[in-house]
Amino acid sequence: MMTAFLGSLLLAYSSMLALCQGLERHYKQVWGRAPTRLQRRVLRGSGWLLLAASLWGCAQAWGWAMGPVGWFGMLSLSGFALALLLPYAPRLAVYAPVLGLPCWLLLYALAG
Amino acid sequence: MKQTLTQSMAWLHTWGGLLFGWLLFAIFLTGSLAVFDQEIDHWMQPEIKQTSVSSAQAVEHAVAYLQRQHADASAWNISLPSERMPALRVTAGDRRSGISTYLDPLTGEPLVVRDTAGGTFFFRFHYSLSMPRNPGIWIVGLAAMAMLVALISGIIIHKKFFKEFFTFRPNKGQRSWLDAHNASAVLLLPFHLMITYTGLLIFALIYMPAALDSLYNGNFAAFYQEHIDVPEEHHAVQTSQAPLTDLAPLLAQAEARMGPLSGVVIEHPGRSDAHIEMRRVLGNRIALTKGHNMVFDGVTGELLAGPPELRPTVLVQRVMFGLHFAQFGGYPMRWLYFVCGLLSSAMIATGLVLFTVKRRRKYASESALGQQLYRLVESLNVATVAGLAVACIGLLWLNRLLPVELAQRAGWELRGFFAIWLLSLLHAWLRPRLQAWREQLSLAALLCLGLPLLSVFSDGQAWGDSMRLWLEVTVVALGLLLVWSVWRLRQPQVQRSERRERSVQAQVN
Repeated sequence: MMTAFLGSLLLAYSSMLALCQGLERHYKQVWGRAPTRLQRRVLRGSGWLLLAASLWGCAQAWGWAMGPVGWFGMLSLSGFALALLLPYAPRLAVYAPVLGLPCWLLLYALAG
Repeated sequence: MKQTLTQSMAWLHTWGGLLFGWLLFAIFLTGSLAVFDQEIDHWMQPEIKQTSVSSAQAVEHAVAYLQRQHADASAWNISLPSERMPALRVTAGDRRSGISTYLDPLTGEPLVVRDTAGGTFFFRFHYSLSMPRNPGIWIVGLAAMAMLVALISGIIIHKKFFKEFFTFRPNKGQRSWLDAHNASAVLLLPFHLMITYTGLLIFALIYMPAALDSLYNGNFAAFYQEHIDVPEEHHAVQTSQAPLTDLAPLLAQAEARMGPLSGVVIEHPGRSDAHIEMRRVLGNRIALTKGHNMVFDGVTGELLAGPPELRPTVLVQRVMFGLHFAQFGGYPMRWLYFVCGLLSSAMIATGLVLFTVKRRRKYASESALGQQLYRLVESLNVATVAGLAVACIGLLWLNRLLPVELAQRAGWELRGFFAIWLLSLLHAWLRPRLQAWREQLSLAALLCLGLPLLSVFSDGQAWGDSMRLWLEVTVVALGLLLVWSVWRLRQPQVQRSERRERSVQAQVN
């Protein structure tokens, strides 16, 4: 359950990040230039996909009754964490999932 | 002058939010702490050790003790050790008013445990403000209604709901406070709405008794009986002495059907009309399953009534309750509720601060009375937000510092809690605003950071209990957060002077 929980938390944060970076204002905030139209589309599209994936992950952790409750909580918290992180450490906010993924994979390998 | 909808909603949000904000902050903060009520209970009873025994073994010890000490009691209640609460407690007589004893689950010997307010206090304060039950519930209900009004009016007056979804601009004074208030409100909106609405529903029958009055003549028990198949009370005409059946197979049967058990209630032990109720741990499902248990005959061990199937209407109600009580989904869910609750409290706090930040420039031109009123608002803000934090962590300190043999110790802990809170208001009134914030937050931070040391010196054991260790680690983390907020409080003045220099330079250029 713990791996599914942390995995969907990672997915929830990544989805919020992708949706956020799909907005011109926040893309500029991190990279200092406007995103191309293609970049924006890809970011938004993957954001929605990750959003669905994190819901699926929550259902793996809690089942389909409790899963959505936890999912809403995760989305809220990761969205809020992202909003706080962006002005202080924009690069860290963007690279957090990249750092988080190997940690989660390690946990997954250890937990079996 | 005719007002627009947005203007009147803004007025409602500002003043409704201010008047109920203080109360709501206290309700939300204690509610968040109540998510971990049993863990705090356990921390506050250092005499109880973490053990791992099977429920069968614990029940065996409990029954042996009760047979020895309270053979003639009308009922026995056994609270079993669980993942969240390692205590084994037995009560002879009624569950609330009977005589309770803590037992060592390993040996069955009675333990002397200090009398404490416990984490249960935060739970009681959360729904009744520690007042006599009904007035407290009514006031909290009124506040919850105000919260719902503030949420909806807040949505209406928020001009850039999606445009500023992820926006937070620090170090910009009023702008930053508004951003923080908006971000914590918008991003956590599902949680705010859910927790407020379900909170109101829990006591809906108290707030809106008309249906109960007209259909059941106000008889709650009759309503409950009709909606849930509660097993009828069997009253045997003649009772005689009869030995109690072996509990181990019944425990196994109940655990197989309902999952982990929280307790066993034995009515009329040692008589022919004995009943055994197996109570389940709440949280196998979202719906709050309080009272939906299995009942066995105490002599033959025959199953008299299973866990009742809920009617759809009752199930909906129970799911709503369950969503609020957050007993489901294990520790990960508990943590989500805890952090969301803290952020709700922070959202309310930023709203309260925003009220004063917006008006601070106007103070000077107000009349003397107006200035005093603003000062009162500022002091109340400090005392509610920082003062309550000091009082809450202070309660944990009182738990260790008050002598164990003190009579009515739990009462003194609470008196200490409210005394600290009252003193914080006095302090906030006497000190200049920024100093009051800084001093009270520093005190709260200091108490948080010092908690592990206190626990080591008072218990004489170095963090042996993993549950208590977790609690202390969490408290230290919250303490670091408070340190950060104290540090941030020094920033605005630096910023302002920098900006002034910059504007001076701009003028020169």
